[in-house]
Amino acid sequence: MKGFAWGALAGAVLFAAAAAAQDDEAARTARWKDLAQEIFGAKQLQNGDAKIALDAPERAFDAALVPITITVQNPADVKSIYLVIDDNPAPVAAHVTFGPAGDPQSLKLRVRVDQYTNMHAVEETKDGALYETHRFVKASGGCSAPSGSYDSEALSEIGQMKLHFLPNPQTGHAREAQLLIRHPNFNGMQRDPQTQGFTPARFLKSIDVTLNGESVLHLDSDISLASDPAITFGVNGQGKGKLAVTARDSDNMVFEKGFDLGEEHS
Amino acid sequence: MPYLNSRFPFGLFAASALAYVLLVGPAPAEVPEPQGFFMGPLHDEVPATLSGARVIDAQGLASLLEQGNVVLIDAASLPHKPENLPPEAVWKPVPHQNIPGSIWIPGIGEGNIDETIDSYFHDRLSALTDHALDRVIVFYCHPHCRASWNAAKRALGYGYRDVVWYPGGAEGWQDAEHALVVAQPEAPPQQAGR
Repeated sequence: MKGFAWGALAGAVLFAAAAAAQDDEAARTARWKDLAQEIFGAKQLQNGDAKIALDAPERAFDAALVPITITVQNPADVKSIYLVIDDNPAPVAAHVTFGPAGDPQSLKLRVRVDQYTNMHAVEETKDGALYETHRFVKASGGCSAPSGSYDSEALSEIGQMKLHFLPNPQTGHAREAQLLIRHPNFNGMQRDPQTQGFTPARFLKSIDVTLNGESVLHLDSDISLASDPAITFGVNGQGKGKLAVTARDSDNMVFEKGFDLGEEHS
Repeated sequence: MPYLNSRFPFGLFAASALAYVLLVGPAPAEVPEPQGFFMGPLHDEVPATLSGARVIDAQGLASLLEQGNVVLIDAASLPHKPENLPPEAVWKPVPHQNIPGSIWIPGIGEGNIDETIDSYFHDRLSALTDHALDRVIVFYCHPHCRASWNAAKRALGYGYRDVVWYPGGAEGWQDAEHALVVAQPEAPPQQAGR
């Protein structure tokens, strides 16, 4: 009898857990439906698991700095990519539109995650179709986490940029570039340790990258990118000439820098 | 700029090495209890203890709730909308979810609280406990959230003798395969002239 009772109890607990998981799943699906309506309007989203992949740590060590990699199967078809962090208060973390000099094959970003959430990567093709894929990420508190070492001294470096440029051995042509922009990307939810008031939001609104005057990408964002935004993207062509970056922030400051890519070696 | 011509991705390599150190590196140093309340940002490492209170995990909370007669307080903050968010930006905080049976009072975990919220908190606890200072009161918010620690310490200051702090927060409860429910915040009534 005793064994039976324990079994029944264990069964009840398991049942409750399964019910809870179902509730969560239903709530997440409803949330996404709601968001998709707001972001994409009446356009239908199709399952994109075979077209677009979203890679993120299942459990992030630092919720204020979660690394994301988005890869696509058919780069030539891609017009733009959206990264949506469903349960962040400002869910659209980035919308990246690729130009003729850009290669959408792989895109890397670092974002803030406020609570356990689904993330969606959405591929918009050149003929206007939308394909989505998603994954669940366990991280919390990224939006109110203090912005690292941002004091007045660090702010004097705002807008400074670095570029790491990598040859891509697979294609021989396209190369990958990692762009780092020094910027606190204050999201307005962080506290000033001294005054305890909210630090006013100040964030990068857009980044434009061109190669010899031709667009590589245009990125729109607001407050979900991590401090010191880092974006890794593919570049088409021979990978030589001048790569120019223009970044604009919410205080309407414009940061510009050109990088000489030198000679093609490969 | 040597990295431009480099054929080897030193920067990325260094970044991944750093990430590796961050992921598997030593645990952060233990956070001591402050003299008073945590004053700065509320999302940060928390101490292992709260002097005068019990600290429990999800299992401990489950058995407390099973016994019943527990006042459960969620001290999580409200999301703060930045004033200068572009009009076209999507701002859509998710409905707040917490542990079933909780009373959610945002603001009680701030380092400094004004008199209005302080007396509201004091009066609510008094009503919720039927003025019994020995009732069990459990405080929580999120993992790495100091608001519940501060709020629990405040309750100790009001004279409650069985204050319990659950640092695992709503996410810890969810991790232990328990359901959360959508919650509405409580707040002191707006006063004219404030």
